[in-house]
Amino acid sequence: MSDLPGPGAKAPTFSLTTPAGAPVVFRDEPVASTLLVFFKHDCDTCHLTLPLVERLQNTLSPAGLRVVGISQDGTDDTARVVTRHSLTFTVALDDHLEVSADYGFDAVPALVLTGPNRAILASFEGFTRPDLRNLTEAAAAACDTQPPHLVHDGDGLPEHRPGCCSKVHDPDVARRLAVRRGASTLGARRVQVPIDDDPFEFMSSQGLDDGLPVVPPTEARVLRMLEGTRRAASDIVAHVPPNLAPATVEKIAVNAVMAGCRPEYLPVVIAATEAACTDEFNLHGVLATTYFVAPVIVVNGPIRRAIELNCGRNLFGQGFRANATIGRALQLVVRNIGGGKPGGVDMSTLGQPGKFTCCVGELEEASPWEPLHVERGFAADTSTVTVFAGEAPRAIRDQLSRTAHSLGASMGMCLQTMAHPKLAHVGEALLVVCPEHISIFERDGYTKADLRARIQEATARRLRELLPDADCQKGMAMRAVPKALLGPDGLPTAEGLETRFSKFQQDSDILVMVAGGTAGKFSAFLGGWANGAAGSMAVTREILS
Amino acid sequence: MNEPLVILDPTDERAAIGRRLATRPDQLQGTLGIVDIAKPRGDVFLDEIERLIRGRLPALDVIRLKKPTYTKPSPTSLRDEVGARCQAVIQALAD
Repeated sequence: MSDLPGPGAKAPTFSLTTPAGAPVVFRDEPVASTLLVFFKHDCDTCHLTLPLVERLQNTLSPAGLRVVGISQDGTDDTARVVTRHSLTFTVALDDHLEVSADYGFDAVPALVLTGPNRAILASFEGFTRPDLRNLTEAAAAACDTQPPHLVHDGDGLPEHRPGCCSKVHDPDVARRLAVRRGASTLGARRVQVPIDDDPFEFMSSQGLDDGLPVVPPTEARVLRMLEGTRRAASDIVAHVPPNLAPATVEKIAVNAVMAGCRPEYLPVVIAATEAACTDEFNLHGVLATTYFVAPVIVVNGPIRRAIELNCGRNLFGQGFRANATIGRALQLVVRNIGGGKPGGVDMSTLGQPGKFTCCVGELEEASPWEPLHVERGFAADTSTVTVFAGEAPRAIRDQLSRTAHSLGASMGMCLQTMAHPKLAHVGEALLVVCPEHISIFERDGYTKADLRARIQEATARRLRELLPDADCQKGMAMRAVPKALLGPDGLPTAEGLETRFSKFQQDSDILVMVAGGTAGKFSAFLGGWANGAAGSMAVTREILS
Repeated sequence: MNEPLVILDPTDERAAIGRRLATRPDQLQGTLGIVDIAKPRGDVFLDEIERLIRGRLPALDVIRLKKPTYTKPSPTSLRDEVGARCQAVIQALAD
């Protein structure tokens, strides 16, 4: 709503410059009356109004009227307007829009007529003949003269015409002005980058980055990021391990800015933070373990398309902003809010490249199966994130299988190597089935359940193959062998040694998604960490706007 | 105009508090807690430590405590028990 001050109010002072750099000050006016005209170059109503203001200037300036045009544009656009209408009155630049904001109007042109002591005599925005007539009469009265006839019969002017939106209301400008005026309500501590420091070097020196440069989270950028969610900035989303520090929407937005996210990605980052900070996911353990794992984010539902998240070729690779920055934002949340840093709580021996970022979408459109989130209890049209503690992707190369039975066995044989071929029941795995492989399963009418059963069948190994031996001292620990298979001496019985163990404790430990490029019979799997209360379980959460 | 850049703090804004090691006792007395963090075979190592300590310091009261899992921080109850019962603690990482 317009806050343009009306008659009786006092007009705000200002100090601007002309395009040539000459000062234009509006403070204690020595003239009888001053008319301020705010305009911008791409407004037809301004172009309709400015010649009339020029006429007013020509007729009343000898009697003491001062006219000041105030342009919302830069030098070049302003000069074009002055030339087009042969304006002879002073024109000042308000391209920072501070003065426009002070005057509170919604639309240009905005005209403000003042008398002595900056008392406003008349004001209006847009164009209406009655308002112009009223303003003209007030100006003439202030100058103690007769009002001129501004509008001629041949002008063909309409009775009224709405103005155009003041540039103050452009979203970026509104945010910038809010910051400059201290109107923002963000609670985060402000840190001033020393004036001689490069912002990127400064942030790196403070340990706030992940080894790559981060975008400086200025207040304007964070305000823009927060427009990506309807949640209040002060809402606490989760408590982030290891410090169990509260992650507000605002703090997550700050880190999302640093990661390079666009505002529409923010709800995904928020949902991923919420999912990763659950007891089941056990982020503290995922972080602290010497093992490889990192939070792998899988996105399902309509939001994939809305944010152009890559679900196809080069799935785990570079080149896709949503994928690259959402995963990175979660890692920065863990680092900066939770305090989890390599060499500190993060004790991984080798880590994996996905600890920079790992976020992918399921190519639901290419799958005959229920997508991951539907299997996990969500509606198909609900957008979700699933976080999974995963290793780096590993290849399943099978260009020869022509039947689902054979391809399922191939996948099982590759999955057998997860963690170690002689280990069984070592946690969950994320199986990523590529489009060329899914077409084989589809042709043979294979369901996800069929594939899981085939993998369990193909990975079944006799206990004696899994136990440590002289050839390879690694293998299934004796404490993991069910007591029913042990004899009185505590060693496996002959029958026990022939008992088969499949790789996965339960079929549901195999998470299946479809994704990747349409060319290539190359699927992949990501090994997990450890099952149960001591390990990490995949967690799915709805993405809320 | 070259205005200084102001950024928002991305951290939890809790000033880093350096953790200092507890003062080491000159000699062991009272109750010694041996805490097993529940890593596989950590108990084998700690059994041997306990045997050696009991042999050398028979007057010392030695108790064994154990975390439910090494993958998560100690539960508050365990930390409280250590604080209430022990004058010194041995806790070891095994792998």
